[in-house]
Amino acid sequence: MPHQQVNGLNVHYQQAGQGDDVVLLHAVTANLSVWLFAGLMDALSQEYRVTAYDLRGHGLTETTPTGYTSVELAHDFAALHDALELQPAYLIGHSYGGVIAMHTALLCPDKVRGVILSDPYFPGLASIEPNLPRANVWIDLRESFAIAGVELPENVDFRTLFRAVADLTPQQMQALRQHLGPASARWLAGLPRLAETSCGEDLFQTAGLTAERLAEIYQPVVALYDEYSPFMATCKYLQSHLKDCVVDLVPGAKHMAPVQNPSGFTALVRHHLQRLRQRPSD
Amino acid sequence: MTSEAILADLAQLLQNFQGREYSDTIDRHTRFFGDLGFASIDAVVLGEALERRYGQKLPFPQLLAELAQRGAEDLEVGELVDFLAQHLASSQET
Repeated sequence: MPHQQVNGLNVHYQQAGQGDDVVLLHAVTANLSVWLFAGLMDALSQEYRVTAYDLRGHGLTETTPTGYTSVELAHDFAALHDALELQPAYLIGHSYGGVIAMHTALLCPDKVRGVILSDPYFPGLASIEPNLPRANVWIDLRESFAIAGVELPENVDFRTLFRAVADLTPQQMQALRQHLGPASARWLAGLPRLAETSCGEDLFQTAGLTAERLAEIYQPVVALYDEYSPFMATCKYLQSHLKDCVVDLVPGAKHMAPVQNPSGFTALVRHHLQRLRQRPSD
Repeated sequence: MTSEAILADLAQLLQNFQGREYSDTIDRHTRFFGDLGFASIDAVVLGEALERRYGQKLPFPQLLAELAQRGAEDLEVGELVDFLAQHLASSQET
């Protein structure tokens, strides 16, 4: 397993292909295998050098008690970028991975050629986004947990979710796995370790990525939002407030495009990367 | 290497993978996620374990991409056996 020491942390990564650098940042609770299961790693590695890595506390990267705000995870990325001697890269971030990508573009613009977002919610835009507390993905999750006999709060609460998964009995876990189906159930195993961390709170911290700072980002941004995204207000805000932002929609998806429409997602990412690469550099 | 030999190899490896014991019989129809309780990252760990076992790089991302393209949510042991048989054979031919 390739690992790299960065910021005192043993980070697991995978790399494939040759060409311009592309880095894939997964969502909270996921890991780099999401890009393999989506077929994105395979598709992009035919044209680019693709690096995917596990965020701290995820996959095969070490877990720390704290350090999960977007600014801290952006520093992890910057250190990994240096350690692997990458060129300025196109960053593709799903959900919170997109927040980290944007925070990196702001703090380390020399490392970022462009960003492709997949349906992120930004804590710094909480005031314009009405749908977070009752996001459809949370409602679906609540229903599934209820079938397993576990009650989750009405409003999105990752800390409680992590604790609830850590405390599931084998019977409850089995019931949940059956209800969720293989594609969703396979992510459950990564959640209990986060119950002992500040991740659940950290991911809702603005951590300096305010609306004003977001508007300072000058690299090209592609905002891929899902057709049934709970965060369309955020999408519209980004489109009208970022310096250089193009919006596109992933058909049929509702926040989990790499899982819910992997081929559509991959096709859109390839199309927009190609477009970005053909732009004259500033 | 025959498919039967690869299946026997895999069954032995998967009986106790990543500290999880599986007491039922593992055959071609055993599913990685539904039956063996694989976590997503286990697919990456298994891929690297098999590359070490057979001493060669194998195009696992291609296998997972094909899975995504046909909308399959799980992988059966037999599909991995066929994939390994194909790629181990083709590397021996070259």
